[in-house]
Amino acid sequence: MLTTGVRSESNIEVHKYYSGAVILVAFLALVLQAFLHKYGRWSELLDLPLLVTIYFGVSRRNPVTGLLLGGVIGIIQDALSHGNPIGLYGIAKTLVGYLASSIGARFDTENPASRVILIFAFFHFHQIVYALTERVLLNRPESFFTLRLLLDSVVTALFGVLLFALLDRLRRPR
Amino acid sequence: MLEIYSRHRPLALLAGAVLLQVLLLAFQVKREHNVRLIRVWAAELVTPVERAGTWTISKIGGVWTGYIALHGARTENARLRAENDVLRLRNQQLESEAGEAKRLNALLNFREAHTEAAMVAAQVIGASADPASHTLFINRGERDHVRRNMAVITPQGIVGKIVEVLPNNTSQVLLINDKDSGVGALFAATRTHGILKGTGDPDPILDYVVNDEKVQPGDFLTTSGEDRIFPKGLLIGSVSYAKQGNPFQVIHVQPAVRLDRLEDVLILVTQQELTPKKVEESADSSGADSESSDIVQSVAPPAPPAPQTKPAAKTPSPAKRPAQTAEPAAPADAPSTQ
Repeated sequence: MLTTGVRSESNIEVHKYYSGAVILVAFLALVLQAFLHKYGRWSELLDLPLLVTIYFGVSRRNPVTGLLLGGVIGIIQDALSHGNPIGLYGIAKTLVGYLASSIGARFDTENPASRVILIFAFFHFHQIVYALTERVLLNRPESFFTLRLLLDSVVTALFGVLLFALLDRLRRPR
Repeated sequence: MLEIYSRHRPLALLAGAVLLQVLLLAFQVKREHNVRLIRVWAAELVTPVERAGTWTISKIGGVWTGYIALHGARTENARLRAENDVLRLRNQQLESEAGEAKRLNALLNFREAHTEAAMVAAQVIGASADPASHTLFINRGERDHVRRNMAVITPQGIVGKIVEVLPNNTSQVLLINDKDSGVGALFAATRTHGILKGTGDPDPILDYVVNDEKVQPGDFLTTSGEDRIFPKGLLIGSVSYAKQGNPFQVIHVQPAVRLDRLEDVLILVTQQELTPKKVEESADSSGADSESSDIVQSVAPPAPPAPQTKPAAKTPSPAKRPAQTAEPAAPADAPSTQ
């Protein structure tokens, strides 16, 4: 849980991953997100690229890599979508990556409960940024919050806990 | 300055990345550019993996549906075979019922066409155990007012007569091809009389026809009414074979009714002569029209005598059909079913 306390800079534990793991996981998340879409609309409940952005952001605890990873993932997600100008997801995920890295450097994000809350919060933050960008820059009426988005955020958060536990295994032992 | 930048480098990078993307968005929106290059790169990056994934899933699905999911196929096959057997049996039953309905329809049409004569419909329930005896058992007896020497017919022609009325509401019918049977007969065309006798063979013979009479295969025979069993004018059959004999011609008659395949018959409870009537039009449109054809023969004018009597031939001559009255009873149709 987030209430485990703010940690000092000296307590920050930066996790290292096997070489290529971050790129591979990000790539697989993008592929799966696009791939699963053709097997049913249930895949729309999940935002795998967002989960990967959050995970590596809070784990690496480096805002620069976090925002870059989020930006690249978002831009590719935009590129793979139809009708979205490139930059919509890019901006949202850039900010998510940066914030996740910043938060990961200050809070304990290893606890499953804190992960659920973190993912839930980042999901809605991502949506707010996305909707704001759409409204301001593209003049499109995108919702900030709906019941469907609430369901999506809950499902993504619950699935994210499992995914994060799986991705923890990719960490290089100290 | 440099110190401030390095201290806030991540924030500066964030601002730069976001600004860059905002500019990119603005560029796309204002100029309506699609930045196709980025999309192409992204697609080329992802689609090979997606293609491989689709291929793998289709193969796994193929293995699943082709092998693993077939573990129940044997059971299902056995079940379907059993179901097929049941359905085939049911189909046979339905066909049998349809045939029965057709026969009963023919009987009904015949009865409706001859309301002046009282008739009782009966089902054949058995035959004689003696191969030399051509008799049948029917499911009508005393309670249905069936008596001895009543005529048994079908819409196609005469069958025989009641020889025994049993107490258990059953009667025995002596067929016209039994060696003890005798029916007064006459040629429909020439009105020549004779006696139809059973021989024990499938085809009865017509006796007492003098050699001078011209008889040809295909000539139709009707009842003469002289036996006081069969009313006059009922179709018996047609000549299948005729030759000169001593002292009378040897004439074999093919009964109009398939006596070995009888299932439903009519019992004439009176000896009243049946007047020829055309069967209802409704029956004509169905397949039962030939079966429901009126067997009653009209009194036809004698045909002009042929110049010579030809030797008997097996092939019936269609030209020698019985002559019709103004209200034809369509007897010519009846033998065509035989």
